[in-house]
Amino acid sequence: MSGPVASPAVVVIDDDYAMRLSCGKILTKMGLRAETFEDGARGLEGVAKLKPDMVVVDLKMPGISGMEVLSRVHEIDPQIVIVVITGYATIDTAVQAMKCGAYDFLPKPFSPDELRLIVNRGLERRRLGLESQCHEVERAMLTRRFVTFVAHQLRTPLVAVHQYLNVMQHLDQSPAKEHEWIDRCLIRIEELQNLIADWLTLARVEGGAMLKERIKVDLSQIVLDILKAYQETATAEGVSLEARVPESSLYVLGDRNCLSVLFDNLIANAIKYNKPGGKVTITGAVSAGEVVIAVADTGVGIPEKYRPFLFDEFFRVKDESAKKTAGTGLGLHISKRIVSEMGGTIHVESQVGAGSVFWVRLPAAHDPEAGIGSQNDAGAETNSNSR
Amino acid sequence: MPAKVLLIDDDSDFRAAVKSLLESHGYHVLEASSGHEGLRMVLEHKPDAILVDIMMETTVEGYGVTYALKYQDEYAEFRNIPIFMISSIEESPDERFPMSAEVEMIRPDRYLTKPLDIPKFLGLLEKAVGAAKGTVV
Repeated sequence: MSGPVASPAVVVIDDDYAMRLSCGKILTKMGLRAETFEDGARGLEGVAKLKPDMVVVDLKMPGISGMEVLSRVHEIDPQIVIVVITGYATIDTAVQAMKCGAYDFLPKPFSPDELRLIVNRGLERRRLGLESQCHEVERAMLTRRFVTFVAHQLRTPLVAVHQYLNVMQHLDQSPAKEHEWIDRCLIRIEELQNLIADWLTLARVEGGAMLKERIKVDLSQIVLDILKAYQETATAEGVSLEARVPESSLYVLGDRNCLSVLFDNLIANAIKYNKPGGKVTITGAVSAGEVVIAVADTGVGIPEKYRPFLFDEFFRVKDESAKKTAGTGLGLHISKRIVSEMGGTIHVESQVGAGSVFWVRLPAAHDPEAGIGSQNDAGAETNSNSR
Repeated sequence: MPAKVLLIDDDSDFRAAVKSLLESHGYHVLEASSGHEGLRMVLEHKPDAILVDIMMETTVEGYGVTYALKYQDEYAEFRNIPIFMISSIEESPDERFPMSAEVEMIRPDRYLTKPLDIPKFLGLLEKAVGAAKGTVV
């Protein structure tokens, strides 16, 4: 496979000694030059010195993270093929790594054959210098994994309920215990319902609902309706709600249901991840042809390391503070899809302990009275809004 | 002394249900919510049987635990503990690692789907623990 000149070089960066040893052995047996390093800093030095064809890097390491190693390797040479090693459950991380330029990922534990296969494919790709042709195979593999993953996600709450009921049927338990379990069953069923509802929304968005249904929607009205619906929940949580949206000027073209889901997700999160005595403030304005809506909370905030994954499918922050809240891990992913389908953007600013602000920017629907000009009417509206 | 069963699963509801079931049948149940924690508890408590979920939202999931117990020196003295792999998705190691020639290495001796079929599960567990201990529970 390799040329007659020097054999290709592979650098392995992993903090696990056994992993380095076995990877090194397998690669050497393949006739490759292999060098292993135990952390990101040493690994990067090695990469700079050796200029390898390929880097195999563990994403979870102390010190410089695998993700950072990835971008720094590509700073050294963007043509180096990178394979990331990751645990199965961190598939989102793997997807993110691939977005950041990783060529493929190896889920742990992997066999020598899997390593050989991926390394050979990677070196082939390096040899051909292809940038995008392999994406189809990669996507097929990810899709297969993803289907399994989703089925598992849907079955988890169902299995919990099923097992509770089975055991209840089998055992004679105290009424108190049975009550407790029935409560848990109801919570898990609700989780499943939410998951299915979220999937339907996602399917709707992916099916192009946003493109088909393009009616003029008043976002102020949507926001106010949602706040009204959440008033009771917010009061119970000790969180106050405030809307600073101008009347009849925040218009966009889109599907009303999807837009409701979008702001429902953001507002629900702002309440859910808030603190007692906290506040949720929604501000809206039109600026340069865009409707800009900010949903701000005074909650727990989102640690920086999680922010890149926030909008990925099934991503949930795994901190203690977030553990007690239920969630499907799909809300923000759906929100992002809705916004992108409409040609808009969503991003987050956050400070741990102080709160987060989600910014949504959507193309403004032009005022019908302003005539046909599409973007030019924005200026007329800019002053009538903020506050 | 009651037989000790280590239950490794990231779903606390599933653990609660199985724990009650096993306790009512005379077992002592230890719980772990991740592969890492489970492996630590193996060293610490030397269980008589292990139930481990295959797909967990942690870095070391079911196959990782199996691999460690079977091949890592640290766990050499626990190599004969019966392991029950459990999952809501029937995904054999062959499906997980389709290209691998060494899939036999992590093929579970005992595989059960969730939710557990109670009489079948209790029967298998009793047999496995009995055989491992060399006595009947």
